[in-house]
Amino acid sequence: MATTVYLSNPALTINSVNLTDQATSAVLSFVYESLETTAFGDTARKFGGSSVTSLQNNTFEVTLYQSYAASETEATIYGLVGIQTTITVSPTAAGLVTPSATEPKYTLTGAYLESHTPINATLGELSTITLTFTGGTLTKAVS
Amino acid sequence: MAQYIVTSDRFANCKRGDILDGNDLEAAGINIEVLIDSGHISTYTPKKSAKTKDTETDKD
Repeated sequence: MATTVYLSNPALTINSVNLTDQATSAVLSFVYESLETTAFGDTARKFGGSSVTSLQNNTFEVTLYQSYAASETEATIYGLVGIQTTITVSPTAAGLVTPSATEPKYTLTGAYLESHTPINATLGELSTITLTFTGGTLTKAVS
Repeated sequence: MAQYIVTSDRFANCKRGDILDGNDLEAAGINIEVLIDSGHISTYTPKKSAKTKDTETDKD
C-alpha cells in the first residue's frame, strides 16, 4: 500500500492573513451531517444516498502563539469574533499559492468564529490561543 | 469599488505596497473592515496626475 509520510507542516491563512509561523496545530474537519434514509423493508439503518444531500458541518481548529505586536495574532483575530471569514489551509506553503493534487488547498468560506481568549497566560510558558471556526462551505483546489 | 493597499508583510500572496480590489476581497469572503483595523491593508486613493498647462497657446 502506498503511503506518504511527512512532517506535519501545513500553511494557513485566516481572513487572508498568513499566520503559519504562529501556528502549532491545525485541524480541518470536513463533515456532511448524516441523514437517515432507512425505510420499511430495510434490514439495517441507512444514511444518505445518491439523491440525498445533507448539510456540511465543517470545523477548523487552530492553535496560535499569541502576539500583541502590530499585524500579528491579536490584531488579526480580535475583530473576527462574531463574524464570518475565510480560511485557507494546505499541507505545504507552496500549496497555498499553487495548489496541486499532492499539495491541495482547502478553502473554508463563511467560517464563524464564536469566541477568542485574548489573555491566556501561564507563568513560564509562551501564551497560545486555540480558535474554533465553525460552519462554512469547504472546497478543495488541486490546480 | 474601493481599492486597498497592503500595509503588512502577512497578507496572503501579496507583498507590502500591492494594490487590491475590494470586489475581489469581498468575493473571497474576506472581511475588509477587520483587515483595515488590524493594519494589514488601508484604503488606497490613486493620486491624480498633475494638470499640464500648454504654455505655447497661452502666449499672448
